[in-house]
Amino acid sequence: MPRGFSFLVVGILAGAALTGASHGALRAATSSNASSGVPLFAEVFDKVRSKYADKPDDNKLIRGAIDGMLASLDPHSTYFDPKALQDFQTTMKGEEFGGLGLEVMMEDGLVKVVSPIDETPAARAGLMSGDMITRIDETPVKGLTLKEAVDKMRGPAKSSVRLLVQRGASKDVKEYAIVREIIHVQSVRSHIESDDIGYVRITQFNQEAYDGLRKAFDHFRTDPGEAKLKGYILDLRNNPGGLLNQAVEIANAFVDSGPIVTTRGRNAEEQQSYSARPGVNLSQGKPLVVLINGGSASASEIVSGALQDLKRGTLIGTRSFGKGSVQTILPLGEEGALKLTTARYYTPSGRSIQAKGIGPDVVVIENIPDDLKGKVSSLGEASLLGHLKNGADEEKGSDAYVPPDRSKDTQLQAAIRLLHGAKLDSLKTAPATVTSQ
Amino acid sequence: MNRKTSLLGLGVVLGAAVTLAAPQTLSHLSPAAYAAASDTYRQLNLFGDVFDKIRNDYVEKPDEAKLIEAAINGMLSSLDPHSSYMDAKAFKDMQVQTKGEFGGLGIEVTQEDGLIKVVTPIDDTPAAKAGIMSGDIIAAIDDTPTQGLTLDQAVEKMRGAINSPVKLKIVRGPKKEVKDYTVVRDLIRVQSVRSHVEGGDVAYIRITQFTEQTADGLKEAMDKLKSEIPADKFKGYILDLRNNPGGLLDQSIAVVNSFIDRGEIVSTRGRTPDETQRFDARSGGDLSGGKPLVVLINGGSASASEIVSGALQDHKRATLIGTRSFGKGSVQTIMPLGQDGALRLTTARYYTPSGRSIQAKGIEPDYKVLEDVPSDLKGKDDMKGEASLKGHLANGEEDTSASQAYVPPEEKDDKQLKAAIGLLHGEKPAQAASADADAAKPKIEAGKADVSSPASPADAAKPN
Repeated sequence: MPRGFSFLVVGILAGAALTGASHGALRAATSSNASSGVPLFAEVFDKVRSKYADKPDDNKLIRGAIDGMLASLDPHSTYFDPKALQDFQTTMKGEEFGGLGLEVMMEDGLVKVVSPIDETPAARAGLMSGDMITRIDETPVKGLTLKEAVDKMRGPAKSSVRLLVQRGASKDVKEYAIVREIIHVQSVRSHIESDDIGYVRITQFNQEAYDGLRKAFDHFRTDPGEAKLKGYILDLRNNPGGLLNQAVEIANAFVDSGPIVTTRGRNAEEQQSYSARPGVNLSQGKPLVVLINGGSASASEIVSGALQDLKRGTLIGTRSFGKGSVQTILPLGEEGALKLTTARYYTPSGRSIQAKGIGPDVVVIENIPDDLKGKVSSLGEASLLGHLKNGADEEKGSDAYVPPDRSKDTQLQAAIRLLHGAKLDSLKTAPATVTSQ
Repeated sequence: MNRKTSLLGLGVVLGAAVTLAAPQTLSHLSPAAYAAASDTYRQLNLFGDVFDKIRNDYVEKPDEAKLIEAAINGMLSSLDPHSSYMDAKAFKDMQVQTKGEFGGLGIEVTQEDGLIKVVTPIDDTPAAKAGIMSGDIIAAIDDTPTQGLTLDQAVEKMRGAINSPVKLKIVRGPKKEVKDYTVVRDLIRVQSVRSHVEGGDVAYIRITQFTEQTADGLKEAMDKLKSEIPADKFKGYILDLRNNPGGLLDQSIAVVNSFIDRGEIVSTRGRTPDETQRFDARSGGDLSGGKPLVVLINGGSASASEIVSGALQDHKRATLIGTRSFGKGSVQTIMPLGQDGALRLTTARYYTPSGRSIQAKGIEPDYKVLEDVPSDLKGKDDMKGEASLKGHLANGEEDTSASQAYVPPEEKDDKQLKAAIGLLHGEKPAQAASADADAAKPKIEAGKADVSSPASPADAAKPN
């Protein structure tokens, strides 16, 4: 495996950065060492080019072939054309881009606002969670992919964009004209919870994740201060993953020594173990609760699996996604890059969580509002078509809903109670609703 | 393009002639051949690079044949919904389909609640002679329980070499009586043409698909009908092409020729002018004696069915009754490949005698008559047509709305058939305009519903 010039990545949505990558000389598809299949492919390609009813677009044909081939492997291996690769690098570097400051998802063919990010043009304009975006400038959203819609919303700072938005059950239609700004993707957000708990949420494992965590911990040392601090909550809910090295660093931020994760490729010599290094631990041994749910995948599962196996943290929430594979970004010269599944990973105790996920130490379920029931469940890796198999005891995913109101966040409240001394057993029978404080 | 290799099937059900043109030399692309086209070379390089990386670095040792097949399928599905790669097995199945004969038992089966159920044993076949009955449940085939098998798998098990025996465990009736049968396979011909006399004076002919047997089957049927109906009473023909997904091009031409004696039937146009081919009626081919003709079409009438109805409409030889047809205006050619597989590639568009392409538009009937769809089937029996298929060949103003594809099982409820009989007796069908207005509502509802795939009408029952 060309480890020298590729990053290891873990993630459903996320991947690796590509810095200073070199690549081997292009090999012709018809080179003599190619297997017997390639001539067959070339023959079909040739026939399509000469006989198809219309003159075909060679790029589109090859692109279709590559996509078809990769899709036959597993759901995480994909091809990035140069543009897609650039977007991917932007995300992984936590780089800035011109945009509106919206977290969005696709629902019923429309773009749904998950949440406007604080202090961005979208938040100031008054866009709200749950808003459905039906048109961007003159383009109807129906028929666009999520990526296409996001591309349309992004653009140079100071340029403006018009959004047509449907809101609420009555579907009131509103139009917004918003001026784009530079948006900084923050992967770590933190605050003090109940005056004495350091709460850290990691939204994805990009290159700035560990630095972000360190800054948060620096802040905790002055407020509430070392003496008052009861412990930490590391919130990995709905975190789809990211860079492997960042996952290792984040786990290392809570332990001084011991194995964190091992990756194994096709051949024995491709096995690689990552262990905690001294001097990285930031936590002063204070108690730790990790929150996970059906949307916690990949790098999130490396972190929670390691902390669980090392008995360093108590996991609260619901079963994680179950993505136990590692993708490597393999550069393809000027043609973009290949994101290819190259290894499985194993937690310190040697388990693979592929298509199984991690069961929390204490299962605490959120109350899902009626209008979201059935929509916020993650079916997990085991339900993805063509996923890598992992024995007979595969497990489906779980809920992936986090209430916007912290006081109604049953999992968070359970974590706080545990750090305040409640017994583990009492958390399991957590009341269905937590009254607001 | 070679006429013998052309087909106009829809979905996976139909295919091409088995008598294929001599395959072209299977040239393995030499890099030199592509040096001129540097962009193409670059593209092939990219593909080779990705392939090599998967071979070397994927987490598991990949099955290279499977990779290549997935690549080929990915490439072809980027073209249009009708181009595909067939491996040896799929190619063989397709040949059986188009040939219209195979070694088997002679039962039409369907799947109901996971069980394989006999729709009907076909007359004069081993199954009928052995006493297999409609409604029988086939619980096991050669001691393999059918529970858990797909319909295709069960059919596969029942088919086999002529004169070989097969054991069936049958569960019959409400008492679930269990019986074992040993039946010896024989050559089964799929009847693509069915006919009967309607009301003593109308010749009704239904073509279910255009196989190699169709033209002969039609001639046989027309001869028989002419002998059964006294010439002085003979009011005309009804040609029922509803839910006929298509088939072989040459067979559709022969069917048209059975009703007209001269003139163009269809022309096909490939990428370059020299690939244009025009097919004309051969004099003496007309078997219909100029008797009036009504053609029934609906949303499930595609491809070869549209060539037939389009030609007969353009020649004003027939009156079309029913609903708008599917709209598949392209021709696929089967090209043998590699070991035993084949490529099914869209190589041309076809045009009716008046020069129109029905691609993504369909053929409008002269009289639009809708069937009453039972409420439990509403929205499920409509066809959205070619225009709604992802990646279909574009054709200007298209019609993406759904068209009805329901034929009532009971003849007495079949409004389209009744309108056809009425017309042959001199009664004009109900105004199409009013039918249109009635149609508006259910059509809109149907548009939202998940409609069946284009292959489904012919998939419903499988002979074996």
